Amino acid sequence: MKHIRTLLGLVAAVALAGTSFAQEIVIGNLADITGGTGSVGKPYADGIRAYTDYINAQGGINGKQIKLLQIDYAYKIPEALNAYKKFKDSDKAVAIQGWGTGDTEALVAQVNRDEMPYYSASYSAHLTDPSKSKYNFFIAADYSTQARAGLTYLKNNWKESRKPKLALVYPDHPYGKAPIPAIKKFAEEIGFELVGEENVALNAIEATTQMLNLKKNEPDFAWLGGTTPSCAVAIKDARKLGLKTVFLVNIWGNDEDLPRLAGGAEEGTFGLQGAVTYGADVPGMKPILEVTKNQPQMTHFIRGWTSMLVMCEALKRADAAGKLNGRGIKEASETLRDFDTGGLTAPITFTPEDHRPTMSAVIVKYVGGKPVTQETVVLERKAEWLGL
Amino acid sequence: MSVHHCGDFKQTYADDMKVMQTRFIQVCIGLFVILLYVFPYLGSNYHVSVMNKIGIAVIGAVGINIVTGFTGQISLGQGAFLGVGAFACSYFMREWNIPFWFAMPMAGLTTAAIGMVFGSPSLRLKGLYLAIATLAAQFILEYLFLHVDKVTGGSNGVMFPSPEIGSFAFDDDRSMYYLILTVAIIGVLFAVNLFRSKDGRAFVAVRDHYLSAEIMGIHLFRYRLLSFAISSFYVGVAGSLWGAYTQYITPEHFTIHESIHYLAMIIIGGLGSVLGAIFGAIFMTLLPFVLTGVTANLADYFPQAGYFIQSLREGIFGLIVILFLIFEPDGIAHRWRLIKAYWKLYPFSY
Repeated sequence: MKHIRTLLGLVAAVALAGTSFAQEIVIGNLADITGGTGSVGKPYADGIRAYTDYINAQGGINGKQIKLLQIDYAYKIPEALNAYKKFKDSDKAVAIQGWGTGDTEALVAQVNRDEMPYYSASYSAHLTDPSKSKYNFFIAADYSTQARAGLTYLKNNWKESRKPKLALVYPDHPYGKAPIPAIKKFAEEIGFELVGEENVALNAIEATTQMLNLKKNEPDFAWLGGTTPSCAVAIKDARKLGLKTVFLVNIWGNDEDLPRLAGGAEEGTFGLQGAVTYGADVPGMKPILEVTKNQPQMTHFIRGWTSMLVMCEALKRADAAGKLNGRGIKEASETLRDFDTGGLTAPITFTPEDHRPTMSAVIVKYVGGKPVTQETVVLERKAEWLGL
Repeated sequence: MSVHHCGDFKQTYADDMKVMQTRFIQVCIGLFVILLYVFPYLGSNYHVSVMNKIGIAVIGAVGINIVTGFTGQISLGQGAFLGVGAFACSYFMREWNIPFWFAMPMAGLTTAAIGMVFGSPSLRLKGLYLAIATLAAQFILEYLFLHVDKVTGGSNGVMFPSPEIGSFAFDDDRSMYYLILTVAIIGVLFAVNLFRSKDGRAFVAVRDHYLSAEIMGIHLFRYRLLSFAISSFYVGVAGSLWGAYTQYITPEHFTIHESIHYLAMIIIGGLGSVLGAIFGAIFMTLLPFVLTGVTANLADYFPQAGYFIQSLREGIFGLIVILFLIFEPDGIAHRWRLIKAYWKLYPFSY
């Protein structure tokens, strides 16, 4: 009898531990900390965690605390599906902060069906078309828009009379391939000549073969997709082989770590960015400096922070409307018009017909081991680009 | 009504061949199957989703056990064969408008054909050499998944249409549960009976001593190929169900990790045992869930060490597998047999 009582006590304790309190908002976070994109995934997840702690310390969402559940899914899609199910069914999460392209796309159908707002770090363009993915959001310009902005900048600064030659280097992977069709089409439209295409894997430790292939055509510019470690490998090997090509690196492939990893080879490389760097003179930086005690963080941290910031704004609006559920949060997100993130990113706009958060991208150039902002390119919000 | 007869009282071959020897076992298994079918009404959606993964793993593990555990042909290409099943099924449904109920067995047959192609080196190769040949199959198929865009969608992957009966779609955990469970039961029953048949016994003979088997008149190549075919059929069906369950498949699902994962299932569960494959599938599927649950909760309580604890997960997973192999080299099925024998003989030791 005593044992039975103890057992019942334990069961009750476990059951109580599993229930969340009424004044808590549960948010699930799928993070890659130990997987293929862990190098940039960890600072992003840190940013999400830091903003959650910050907003909770400020009193939470209209007095309700956020309970953030982080799971490291190690960039494995099946693990991501498991984690998502856990968030939705066991933890009763009302929204998700997601991560990669493969897993975000694998979950599109499910989040639509489950009415689960999903703020990803995958900026794939086709997640911006609400007719296909109603519940997907993110806070930087999509990969295709960023690439178009980058190419526009390169073209505007091209001085020679001949067409500039452009090569494409990217991992053969959903994330790597996402903007490629858009890049090819736009590059031809604005007068680039495409001269080669190579694959460098996310876990590459050398890329000599690919760079030798590039060298044959001597491209003036090369689009470089990947994460910082793989892009550093490609840039280093290109310089080693004497390539003069100027790289345009996508958002997850360049950050404060690039000079360290590329060892100076990155000099003159252009990078695309969606947020300011640590310590920038913008109002939104003040709480970040406080929370991080002036310990510099990577730009991915700032985007993680902003992603949570924007989600919390939607939570506040949904809560104020008395609709703190999936559909309510989605609708609240779609009321954001030029929402100011304190200058951390460009102002954010979501409408029920268009989930492109912004049409601007920041172009940085690596000079003397530091990213130096060159220009913020703002593109027209063309309807035909939506989702492509 | 007893668990076991306390002697051998069988008077016909039919009695001797019964899968379920006593009424008690029949009743127990009947109740267990009924319990499985009412499980969605007892468990939460999350529990049902875990059961779905176990069900798919059971089908795959039983399949791999046929070729590796029963026939002794090591195969490292199972992850890719899962992919063949999934992509083939999705292709038949999307492009040829074939309903899932026909597309799934067709995908199984397609995988069986591919399995036979890559199983053909087994005529001349054994052991480690065959393992490397099947490893090549894994890499060749992975490459094809990435580059045959028309079928697989390349690295972006493809949507997998939900199975339908009339207007009812199997598009959530609960409906998929019944589909997966039914296929798993049929698969297990077929496997159990396969090894009571001539072909199944030929597989075991090929495994135990191929020279003797050949002298007895067993056509080695034929039976090795047959074993690859049946095994790949199972894996193809498991792949189809995985696709139907996730509704979206990419080549990333079907890597060498998946092959090793399935191999670990049958080693931990018990090679050459259908029950072992089931135990192994349950163990290897539940372990990551348990570890994720534990590490995620610990990370909540110790936010400072959150990432460290989460990173430990993979290490703990490996450690548990190693400890299992050290202390239970014959697999969980063997321990199960010992437990049964203990109760059968209780209070005597033998």
